[in-house]
Amino acid sequence: MKLRRGLLIIGLLTPGLGLILALIGTVVYIAVSQSFGYYSLNGTSEFSTEFWSKMAGRKAFKRSIQYSIYIGVFSAIFSVALAYPLAIWLRKPFAGSNFIGAVLKAPLLVHGLVAAFLFINVISYHGILNQFMQWLGIWSEPRRLQNDPNAYGVLILQTWKNMPFALLLLTGAVQSISDDVLDAARDLGAGTWDRFRRIIAPLTVSGMQAAMVIIFIGAVADFSFQVIAGPTNKQSLSQLMVSFKGRGDWHSAAVVGVSLMMIALVGSAILAVVARMVMRGRIK
Amino acid sequence: MTVQRVNKILLIALLSVCAIWLIIPFTMAVLWSLVDPSEPWTADKVLPPVMSLFRWTDMWENSSLKSALIASYTLAPSAAVLSLLLALPTAFALGRISFPGRELAKMLCLLPLVVPPFITAIFFTSLLFQIGLSSWRPGAILFAHSVLFMPFAIRILTVSFEQVRQDHIDAARDLGASHWARFKVAYFPALKPGIFATLLIVFIQSIEEFAIAFIVGSPDVVTIPTLLYSALGQDYVRPNAAVLSLILVVPNVLLMLILERLLRSANPTLSSGKG
Repeated sequence: MKLRRGLLIIGLLTPGLGLILALIGTVVYIAVSQSFGYYSLNGTSEFSTEFWSKMAGRKAFKRSIQYSIYIGVFSAIFSVALAYPLAIWLRKPFAGSNFIGAVLKAPLLVHGLVAAFLFINVISYHGILNQFMQWLGIWSEPRRLQNDPNAYGVLILQTWKNMPFALLLLTGAVQSISDDVLDAARDLGAGTWDRFRRIIAPLTVSGMQAAMVIIFIGAVADFSFQVIAGPTNKQSLSQLMVSFKGRGDWHSAAVVGVSLMMIALVGSAILAVVARMVMRGRIK
Repeated sequence: MTVQRVNKILLIALLSVCAIWLIIPFTMAVLWSLVDPSEPWTADKVLPPVMSLFRWTDMWENSSLKSALIASYTLAPSAAVLSLLLALPTAFALGRISFPGRELAKMLCLLPLVVPPFITAIFFTSLLFQIGLSSWRPGAILFAHSVLFMPFAIRILTVSFEQVRQDHIDAARDLGASHWARFKVAYFPALKPGIFATLLIVFIQSIEEFAIAFIVGSPDVVTIPTLLYSALGQDYVRPNAAVLSLILVVPNVLLMLILERLLRSANPTLSSGKG
């Protein structure tokens, strides 16, 4: 009976979870194998660490790693930092709060490529932002803002797209804190900052961690924002991987891909731990 | 200052931010899509000098827009149905049978969401080359979309299955209902919103998906996002990109609003962190 039940459950899970594991498992397996020289599509397949050692010596690879981590970390921090005060403000419903919530969450419905287009349209050389600054007299002539070397454009886009997601997770977390707790803290003389640090922050830490990690993974692997709005002298890891693949160099693409997965994994673990420590007040 | 006053000031501040946040970018996109090629929109004019629907008709007739629309809008409903069918048994198991490792199984279902999309796309293509199916592009994209968006389907349907009431099933059984009749009276009413929500969310995700369609599909299969990507890159013509952006964004916003209605209790946008 037990065996039959087990088989039934496995049978039920196979088309859904089974396929997911098979696809993702194979994809990761092929990526790792190709990075070590196996499954070659245009040469001999044999074990080799050559692709890793060659890649490690490449300047472009190191720059890509630094750049992707920079984008990932700052996108996550900015999104969460912006979402916190808004979530606290929207904790209690007031006239118009639903509307504000809807407006703030609207970017979730806008496709990343569309967002990138809207953005470069606004900041283009003869775009509305340049005209506005000239009209105000702050800038005497239009400035080239697109593809800025510090990737502020990419960070703005990432924040625009991801802040709503952080807001969604944090609103849920903040709303579940009962008024009694906050009132008690107020009665005991805690100011706004103390109430945030001692009560709201520790009680919402898991929602915040989830937001940080998910945004970090998405931003560290960014391709479209980088290609359209990012600096032209730097490449993100996804972009580097796609360009290797485009040249038919699958093994190097695999090395970059595996590195990207490891960075996403290790990076999100570190972020989660650091975020928890900061929010629990162990680091001041 | 009273709380109302503070809220009012904050509200006004926020509305202006929202103008920058949404209204200006979208207005600019609409205006650019209406620029008539007879006279360019130069920096010294507030509005385009000549406005017409020329770009829209031109894109419709002389670009791959039509084939992209056909590709996207056949792919998405097929992926939605396939994903639903594949997800139903797993969701049933996760929602109605308790077994050791159920929580782990639920977590593992989310795997496709944490692997960066371009990694999945590139090494899925590599897999297709290895097994000699690289010419099978539309089918491969359909398969990949159905599996990669299954986490949404499984998640929503699991909740739906959990909401089916055991006393309804028992009552139907006691009254002698067959398997099919029991499904119809006890399961289906509880599952219906979940089924619609699943179809809709996979549909939207598939329409918007870029990495797989771009890497696996190129150069044969063109979907709306890949068309928009090339319109933003190698052949950047701003009015054309504006037309494509609006074609991609407007139907999906409407569909998402329907989805929001369907899932009023759950939070649909939460389960669809899109990128």
